[in-house]
Parts: sequence; structure tokens; C-alpha cells
Amino acid sequence: MFHDIADLFAMFPEAVIAGAVIATVCACLGVFVILKRVVFIGITLAQVAAAGVAAAMVLGLSPFLGAAALTLATVTVLAAPFETQRIPRDAVLGAIFVLAAGGSILIVAKSGFGLTEVKSVLYGDLILTQRGDLAVILATLLPALLALVLFWRPIVYTFADREAARVLGIRVFVWELAYFYILGIVVSAASKVGGALLVFAYLVVPPSAALLVTRRLVVAAILSASIALLCTLVGLYLAFRFDQPTNHVIAVATFASLLLAAIARLVASIPRRRARTRR
Amino acid sequence: MSKQETIVRCRGLTIGYGREVVLRGVDLDVPRGAFLPFVGPNGAGKTTLLRAILGLLRPLDGTIETPFDHAPPGYVPQQKAVDPLYPLSAEQIALMGLYPRLGWWRKPSAADRKLLDTIFDQLALTPHRRKTYGELSGGTKQKALIARAFLSGAEVFIMDEPTSELDEPSEIEVLHHLARLSREEGKTVLLACHALDHVAALAEHACLVNHGRLRLAPVNDLRPVGSPIGNRQSEIRSEEGGT
Repeated sequence: MFHDIADLFAMFPEAVIAGAVIATVCACLGVFVILKRVVFIGITLAQVAAAGVAAAMVLGLSPFLGAAALTLATVTVLAAPFETQRIPRDAVLGAIFVLAAGGSILIVAKSGFGLTEVKSVLYGDLILTQRGDLAVILATLLPALLALVLFWRPIVYTFADREAARVLGIRVFVWELAYFYILGIVVSAASKVGGALLVFAYLVVPPSAALLVTRRLVVAAILSASIALLCTLVGLYLAFRFDQPTNHVIAVATFASLLLAAIARLVASIPRRRARTRR
Repeated sequence: MSKQETIVRCRGLTIGYGREVVLRGVDLDVPRGAFLPFVGPNGAGKTTLLRAILGLLRPLDGTIETPFDHAPPGYVPQQKAVDPLYPLSAEQIALMGLYPRLGWWRKPSAADRKLLDTIFDQLALTPHRRKTYGELSGGTKQKALIARAFLSGAEVFIMDEPTSELDEPSEIEVLHHLARLSREEGKTVLLACHALDHVAALAEHACLVNHGRLRLAPVNDLRPVGSPIGNRQSEIRSEEGGT
């Protein structure tokens, strides 16, 4: 396997590096997607970014700019206090998701692209990562990760106890918006090669696996990134070895990690349950 | 109340949610070092008033002056304020109180750690310090929030029913500690509670919040005549109704 991964790295260095960076950063950010109970934002932003990539490619613009323009516009709309309006935030998210999913299909349907190009635009393909894609990913995701590390404390306090954070002098609206802009930028940069499915998988599945097996927030973020990274390498290897679509294999691998985490948690709880029964 | 430096000043204050007015016409001066309970039945507006004083709720009318922009108070919300899904330990919750001093990045000093240990010992929280907030019992959650307020070293403490989930000995201990902070260190303590039972002996004055109004009076005036154990909610309500 290691020999094959070495071959893979030699043949597709951009894909391996891009996959590793996207996995690490999305999985770290995803811990808050889970804890803040905004999983639907993850899939909506990923789908909006895919629509932005499709529109930009049809118009001959930078895919990243197309994705970033739409995701940041979406984040700005979602920043409105919908809880105080007549419909919940999820309803607005659902409407945006429907528009993005339908719109991206309509855009590529009229594009004159071939089937491979259409699939690449709609679903992304890590293995096709170009040097230019990698440059965008590195220039965007690494500063985003640095920002998350640097602003960890106010973001955590804002999300965990909003009122107390306000009393402590934390500008909760600013930090919440900052987190969602970071998320939007990361999803935009990752979407051209990651596609909506893989980006969403990274945002949701490894963080869930990590939170199942640890009770420490920092450990959960590190573990989530590690799980996503491992799934990426295993997925790349399996896709390469068995000639399967890369992004889908990685997405399925992340689900396997969640299953393993659930089993590990179950096994770890057996002694505790036995002790309780004996008492 | 005695003529000292005023730390919270409310003038013509009307507060509520949307068009619903909860309290109106509140004039209140809280001097530095006061130990001031706010008593009244559920839904009377105690929490609403404290949230307005904290700056969490914009008044519908009137003004509130506090020093909290420069010196945040030690705040104990009701325990459900913290999302139990977040895997933060009791210790990490308490350390939040240091944010105004530490900001984004700085680590707690050795002195901060020592103070944390002392507070956790006082509150019998030490065995629970590594447990996540979601794993704690109701009373222990409240203690973690109290520890956060104490660790902040604030000059003013604002507490919303801080002892509602505590057992009686813990409740008495926490209230006496607050009274001591007020008496000996000049800290100002504002706390909402249902009944005067345990604070009556500690406070000179109390605010009765009921029927959309606030009345500041000596504690003894709020106790029903001839009732040595008095001050239960029902008795406060009937006393208010009679005035």
C-alpha cells in the first residue's frame, strides 16, 4: 500500500497535497458545524460553491472567484437574525440549497461541456487537481486554518455561551460572522476539486467520528483532521488501485471511520455498563 | 440605601420583549458594595431586569448607566445558558471568566491557576474539574458558572438564581461567600432569587419585582409581620397586593 501511495504521490502530487490540506482544514472547521447544529449550512454552502464553480467556468472566470462570490453572499444572507422572523433559518437554507442544486445543473446543461467536464464541474475530482488549483487551495485554506487557531478562544466562547461571551466583552456577532466567512472561503476554494459531496463529507463525518470518541474540544479538532487525512490517503489509494471515482471513495471511507468510532465507543462503554449492572 | 458611589443607575426604565412590557418606570441606584437581592415570582421580570443591566437587552425606554464597558461583571446565568453539547470541562468553563484579561491568546498565569484551585476547593468542584459541562449535575453546573464569575475577579457580580439547583448547605455557603465579598471586599452583588429565605439575614435591602413594578425596600419591610420564617413567594405576592 505504501508503495502504491508513493507511486500515487509521484504521479499526482497536487492531488495528494490538495486532498490532505482540504481534509485537514474542513474537518477542523467541521467540529463547529456539528456542535453548532448547522449541518445543513455545510451542504448548502458546498452546493452553492459548486454552482459558483459551474457559473464561473461557463463564463470563463476563475472558479474560486465564482464560488467565493456566491458562498460569501449566502453567508451574509444567513447572518440575518432569522429566528426572530416568521420562518426558521433552515427554511431559507433549504430554499438556497434547492436553487444552487438546480441552478448548477441548468448552468452546465447549457454550457456545451462534455460529460467528463460536466461531472468534474458538478462533483469535482481530486485526482484532476492542477497546479493552479493547488495554489488557490494553499493560499486560502492555510491562512483560514491559522485564523481558526488564532481566534479559537473567542469563537468557542461565542458558540458555547453566547450571552456570557457578550458580557465578557466578546463581539459575538463579529466572531460568528468571521467563522462563517472562514467556512465560506474554505468551501469555495475546496469545491472545484472537492465537489459538494466530498467537502460536505469532510465538514460533517470526521468531526462526528472524533466527537464520538473524545470529550475534549481541541483533541476533537485534531482527531477530526487526522481521521479526514487518513481517509483521504486510504481513499486515494483505493480509488487508484481499483480505478474508482476518487471523491466518492474518500466520502465512503469517512463514513467507515464514523462506523469504527461508533463501534469503539460502544466497546469502551461495556466495562462501565457491566460495573453499573453489578452495582 | 447608603450614599456611596453609584455603580448601576437606572432612570425611567421600561423593559420588555417586542411590544410586551415586563417592567416599567424603574428608578434604581445601586451603590458600590451593595448586596442586593431581587425577589419575586416566576415571570415577574427579575431575569429581564438583570439582562437589561448587563446590556443584553435594550431598554424600551429610559436609561441604564453601568461601568461594564470597561470592567465586565462576573455573570452567572441560569445553567441552561451554556450549550451542553460543547465538550468543555468545568475548568474550561471557569477559565472563560479570565477572557477580559487574557484575550484571544494569553495563557492563565500560575496565580490564576492557584486561584482556580482555591475556588474549586471552596465550591467542592475539584472532583468534577475534568468532566464536561454536559456530564455535570444541575447543581455542579451552577457551581461551575459561579466559579467562572468568581475567577473573573470582577467588581460587580450579577447572578440569575445562582443557587436554584444547589443543595441547602451549598446554597448557604455560596450566599454567605457573596455577602462576605460585598462586606469585606466592597464587591457589588445583584442576584435574582425566588424567595428571601436565605438572603434575608445577609441583605439590608431587597428589590421586590412584581406586577410590572420594582420596589426597593429594607428587607424587614418585605417580610410579612409575625412570620419568622416568611418571605415565600406567595407571601411576597400577598404583601405586594396589600400595598
